[in-house]
Amino acid sequence: MAEIKLKNLTKRWGDFVGVDDQSLDIADKEFLVLLGPSGCGKTTTMRMIAGLEEPTGGEIWIGDRMVNDDLPKDRDVAMVFQNYGLYPHMTIFENIAYPLRVRGVDKADIPERVQKAAEQVELTQFLDRKPKALSGGQRQRVALARAIVRTPKVFLMDEPLSNLDAKLRVTMRAELKHLSRELQITTVYVTHDQIEAMTLADRVAIMKHGVIQQLGTPDDIYNDPANLFVAGFIGSPAMNLINGSVQDGMFVTTGGTRLVKVNTPDRAAAILGVRADDMQVHEQGQGDIDVTIYAFENTGESTLLTVQWGKQRVIARGDRHLRKDQGDVVGISLNSDHLYLFDPETENRIGM
Amino acid sequence: MTGKQKKQFWNLIQTTLILIAMFIMLVPIIWIFLAAFKTHVDVYQLKLFFTPTLENFATVFDDPYRLGEKLVNSTIVALVSVVIAIPIATLAAYSFSRFSMRGETMMLVIILATQFVPAVVIILPFFVMFRDIGLLDTRLGLILVNLAIVMPFAIWMIKGFIDGIPMDTEEAAMVDGSSRLQVIRNIVLPMAAPGLVTSAIFCFIIAWNEFLFALILTNKNAVTLPIGLALFKGEEGDLWNLLSAAGIIIMAPMFVLALMIRKYFVQGMTMGAVR
Repeated sequence: MAEIKLKNLTKRWGDFVGVDDQSLDIADKEFLVLLGPSGCGKTTTMRMIAGLEEPTGGEIWIGDRMVNDDLPKDRDVAMVFQNYGLYPHMTIFENIAYPLRVRGVDKADIPERVQKAAEQVELTQFLDRKPKALSGGQRQRVALARAIVRTPKVFLMDEPLSNLDAKLRVTMRAELKHLSRELQITTVYVTHDQIEAMTLADRVAIMKHGVIQQLGTPDDIYNDPANLFVAGFIGSPAMNLINGSVQDGMFVTTGGTRLVKVNTPDRAAAILGVRADDMQVHEQGQGDIDVTIYAFENTGESTLLTVQWGKQRVIARGDRHLRKDQGDVVGISLNSDHLYLFDPETENRIGM
Repeated sequence: MTGKQKKQFWNLIQTTLILIAMFIMLVPIIWIFLAAFKTHVDVYQLKLFFTPTLENFATVFDDPYRLGEKLVNSTIVALVSVVIAIPIATLAAYSFSRFSMRGETMMLVIILATQFVPAVVIILPFFVMFRDIGLLDTRLGLILVNLAIVMPFAIWMIKGFIDGIPMDTEEAAMVDGSSRLQVIRNIVLPMAAPGLVTSAIFCFIIAWNEFLFALILTNKNAVTLPIGLALFKGEEGDLWNLLSAAGIIIMAPMFVLALMIRKYFVQGMTMGAVR
């Protein structure tokens, strides 16, 4: 049981900045997801917590101990790797037992504890096999079992699901969530998959270029994005970002369409953000604005309309029973409760 | 020709080519095998049918040739060289593979470059040094020389095998609670085992066959098998039957080792560590 504190953590390789002076407090038993595109510093941050990478500056605290100078083995963490990192020359039993053996756990206790961990991830019938005889999903379970066989202070998971196929990923995601609720151990989870982040996290830290862009609950980052990057990164389809300006309390697109009332002083340049789900699709003439359909997609659970809006294309979500074709004209209205304004210069959110 | 006939035709050509290649390579060895069991008189006749004799093998171990001593020398020198070289080379290779050091590439290149220096160039300094410190004509001297010969080779070869071990596996072991040495012992060595065995066998073969240094640096006590071959000169010319018998004794371990290497080479390296 432990909280993690990162204080002004920095990692540089020569001129390249991997993690730039970041501070982060992770509460005891919290499930924190580090989310971002590749190269954003999320994995580096995790590897520094594990002790596999040495920070250029700053401090890492696990519990009430500064662990900067501790070897990975002395930090009492367990880690699940993207490529599983199994020991190919050992059986599954020995793989799971390794952390116990190498830490000098009483030999008599080992079989029972391995059995228990294997049960938690439903692996009991494979214990005498070697990793190469297992499928990807099963190997990932072995890696998980190896992590939960001890009770470490911290779990670290580095994109544990990204090597699995899409269907298995959904199953494993639910199992992970279930397991983490059961175990109640502080967890740091790295991913580039926003769905994983949204579904698993207590809090999400979105990173870009080594800097945390926003730290908050999944609700916070979805409904209250701090800047353009977060707004564009979270949500599928991505949030529509419309260029324009604010004149007389109205948002006016670059094409000159007076679109919607916004509660903010006039400004020459602004970006309006609106999610596909926050737009209503109507028949022609019944919405705020009439637009021509560029592409109509039926996903089964809903329909996606890519519409030509002046020079820009915008995606709106329609009812699952809606049937239109490209070239048709529809009316669109915006839900003014869920509009976001951003400053194109600073990319930060503007209050409204 | 039908497809089947075509295939048979190509198979025939393949087999023929392989047989020709084998014939070219094996003729001298076959000749030696035959000569080893012939009497001195029969050697110069190219007949395939003769009364085989084991007398040559007895003679080479007897006075004045005493091949047994050379066999002991060769075995000790080659074995000890390998036993010392492989652990040191493994640690060096691990360091080269896993740590970044100042001048790492330079060091690796220098280590490799020693292999390109012709032995005759450095044999004189070795001779003078060994004479001054009393290592001339000793097994220890030969072991030192062989170490210098096989170590660069072993480092490069083992480094290749260690490079093939995924970093994830080692890092997992470290997070699981292993020290660096435990990682090497529990993870790296078992996973690199086929590579280590292969390297050890190659090194043994090199040391076993080493001729030039042994020729210059030994004369009586530490003479090895390849040098021992030079003893079989009589007043009537080369004693081919004895030479051949000694040749078989030198070659026998090589055949066994070649078979072992084949087994290890086939074995997969990472064995399902990733995906």
